[in-house]
Amino acid sequence: MGTLNAIAHNIPDFSPALKNGHCGIREIDIFDTSGFSARTGGQIKNFVARNYIPQNFSMKRMSRADLLSFAATLEALHDAGLYPFPEELQKGTGVSIGGGAGGLLEAESFYGDFLKNNGRRARFSRLASLFCASSADRIASAFDLAGPKATFMTACSGGATAIGYARDLIAGGQASVVIAGGVEPMCRLTYAAFNALKSVAADTCRPFDKNRDGLSLGEAAAIVILEELDSALARGARIHGEILGYGITCDSYHMTAPDEQASGAVRSMEAALRDSGLSPDDIDYINAHGTATPVNDAMETKAIKNVFGKRAYTIPVSSTKSMHAHTLGAAGALEAIVSILALRNGFVPPTINHQERDPQCDLDYVTSGARSANLKTALSNSFAFGGNNTTLIFGKYTERSACHER
Amino acid sequence: MNADRPQNDARRVVVSGLGMVTPLGVGKEDFSRRLFAGDTAIRGIQSFDTGDFSSHLGAEVTEFKPRDFIAVKNLRRMDKISLMTVASARMALEDAGLQITAENRDRVGIILGTAFGATDITVQFLHTLSQEGPASVNPILVPNTVMNAPAGHTSIELGFRGINTTITHFAVSAENAMAYAAAEIRRGTADFIFAGGSDILSEIAYRSLIGFGALSPQNKGNETCRPFDQERNGCIAGEGCGMILLESLQSAKQRGCNYYCEISGAGMGASPTRPNEWPRDTEGIKRTFARAVKNAGIAINDLQAIYAGANGDKILDAVEAEAYAEIFDAGKCPFITSIKGATGESFSSGGIRACAAALSMANQILPPTAGLANPLRALDFVIQEKKEADIHHAALAGISFGGTYCYLIFSKS
Repeated sequence: MGTLNAIAHNIPDFSPALKNGHCGIREIDIFDTSGFSARTGGQIKNFVARNYIPQNFSMKRMSRADLLSFAATLEALHDAGLYPFPEELQKGTGVSIGGGAGGLLEAESFYGDFLKNNGRRARFSRLASLFCASSADRIASAFDLAGPKATFMTACSGGATAIGYARDLIAGGQASVVIAGGVEPMCRLTYAAFNALKSVAADTCRPFDKNRDGLSLGEAAAIVILEELDSALARGARIHGEILGYGITCDSYHMTAPDEQASGAVRSMEAALRDSGLSPDDIDYINAHGTATPVNDAMETKAIKNVFGKRAYTIPVSSTKSMHAHTLGAAGALEAIVSILALRNGFVPPTINHQERDPQCDLDYVTSGARSANLKTALSNSFAFGGNNTTLIFGKYTERSACHER
Repeated sequence: MNADRPQNDARRVVVSGLGMVTPLGVGKEDFSRRLFAGDTAIRGIQSFDTGDFSSHLGAEVTEFKPRDFIAVKNLRRMDKISLMTVASARMALEDAGLQITAENRDRVGIILGTAFGATDITVQFLHTLSQEGPASVNPILVPNTVMNAPAGHTSIELGFRGINTTITHFAVSAENAMAYAAAEIRRGTADFIFAGGSDILSEIAYRSLIGFGALSPQNKGNETCRPFDQERNGCIAGEGCGMILLESLQSAKQRGCNYYCEISGAGMGASPTRPNEWPRDTEGIKRTFARAVKNAGIAINDLQAIYAGANGDKILDAVEAEAYAEIFDAGKCPFITSIKGATGESFSSGGIRACAAALSMANQILPPTAGLANPLRALDFVIQEKKEADIHHAALAGISFGGTYCYLIFSKS
């Protein structure tokens, strides 16, 4: 696993930051926020790409998104014992990434210059990394990988879908290893879009709180290495967890508002349970989508009650977006890592910034700090604009669970 | 797709509906008639002024009337790429004779490929933001700046709620989407999935493609699209949407539906390539092709046709042709055709090309490669006129700059 986000620049720092309830939502300085209604977000501060990416890798024309995902990939490869990348695995290794704004941050400055000269003498090479598929191409190219490549663009669920799809690539025999995850850089366009929709919190993100007033935007790269169990065991790799299943559904309701009846979210969790062969009773922890918009949190609470019945009240549910903010295209992948860390390190991460209970949100949101717990399974939700819902389910890896057959 | 082609009807995947909005016509009658007649949609760009640009030709969608497919009250919510996508899906739905009901809607989905998304709307948004500031941006535009908007609008318009996702991986976006959809039908997570590709030809996309040296005339000669021709000098930008509806063979039989062909296999792969450049090696194509053929449970020599990815580019066409020359023994190469001389290059062209392939398989006719006169290699290209042929198995090529590949195998069952 590898990550850079607002509360940690690597996995070893991420777990304690989550446990201690660090908040990464602060004033942002990546661009000038004058004119915007909000000024805060989960920015990755002090990111100097060369501190993460060795000199032998070219960074030419790479966007912030490319650099962040590349840095997280390097950490994940080291962690998996795949650095330098073994030649015998190159042919069967694929890349599956949930994309977001891609190189829009860089394109914004290009566009300013483009207008000044009415398009003459514009250096289009500055747009070389504009599209979010660029990140996967950079990764595959740097390590001479010849497996499948795909980039998912379903806004806030892209990172989760990329991980589910990667599982399918391996199960379907198209790849034996997949570098999977998501990346989202901050940029003015995204910030302006969410401001225009009036879904951004005035100060900070308060999931499930009665006075929650919106999300906080963030940025992150989150990469996991998925591998066939036999291949990982043969290499003697350290296994962090197991992906048990995933589900994708659509609201078919509204482009930016979730269906308040929660049908899409319910069906997404049910599809993931079905795929993993588990029953609702088997789930020990829910990493909520929990954006802290008034509608999402009420809807998601309703959906969890619908799927889990009475047990909904006894399953810990937390939104770690209160700490690392909403990282959009990376969110599903970042929260997959949160779920795996919770399983591996035996804790339930908290929901921070929660002050007042909302009668509509009456589950156990883990609001007074992290808890120790021996979790066996974790379910992670990602719901997106366009009504795109993805749910992932992870299991703690034990030799016994290795016998688990889908 | 899952290893080995299954024999079980419930796990075999067929193409049962087609819908398309293309420069060569809207709907399968027009598209098919002009495609097999060897017509081309390439002409001077009409929708913006190409005055001092170095390229002036394009393949634009000109005959599309969104009102024929979408309720008037919903038109204003959608931009061009979403309108084309919704219309194509509706045509595919009607073509397959499928009704979406409260009983089946949770098992109907869409997996769409788009190379560049709504570049027109994104630039409009960026323009307001940079010229007037964040307070002036229009919230109604926001949902359409995101690449998953077309699939989202389609699900709302047609009322289905199953799997819904959008893949963007440059020139293999649509092929990847169709391969994923076929795998999901095989896996049984959905009963019906719309799959294909959609992209638009905006002024900013056109100027960027010129800036990257992608468009004809790459050599400052005559501007034209000549796939696989010795005189080729770049592609001509196009646009459009092509959508296929996939279901299991068992489902098609139960519905008594005439299907076009089966998608019997898929292969995906890559080869190390510089970002934004076409691959210069044949290894990636050969490996991916072999993976697809194996996945379909057939042998290389079982193929009678290849619907190629060649678009007239100096490098792409040479590498693709060389790969086929290496894969097949001399004299045993299947017929090869590329329709990009007729439809232009939309980069998610796989959707439109899959529609062409399905029509080709069903009618046992191969469309000609418009623009090709003097082949760069001695292979069996379909030149000048359509060709009748017994096509049992055919390959649809997806090759992207950046070195990504996806091949699909279409079979007549």
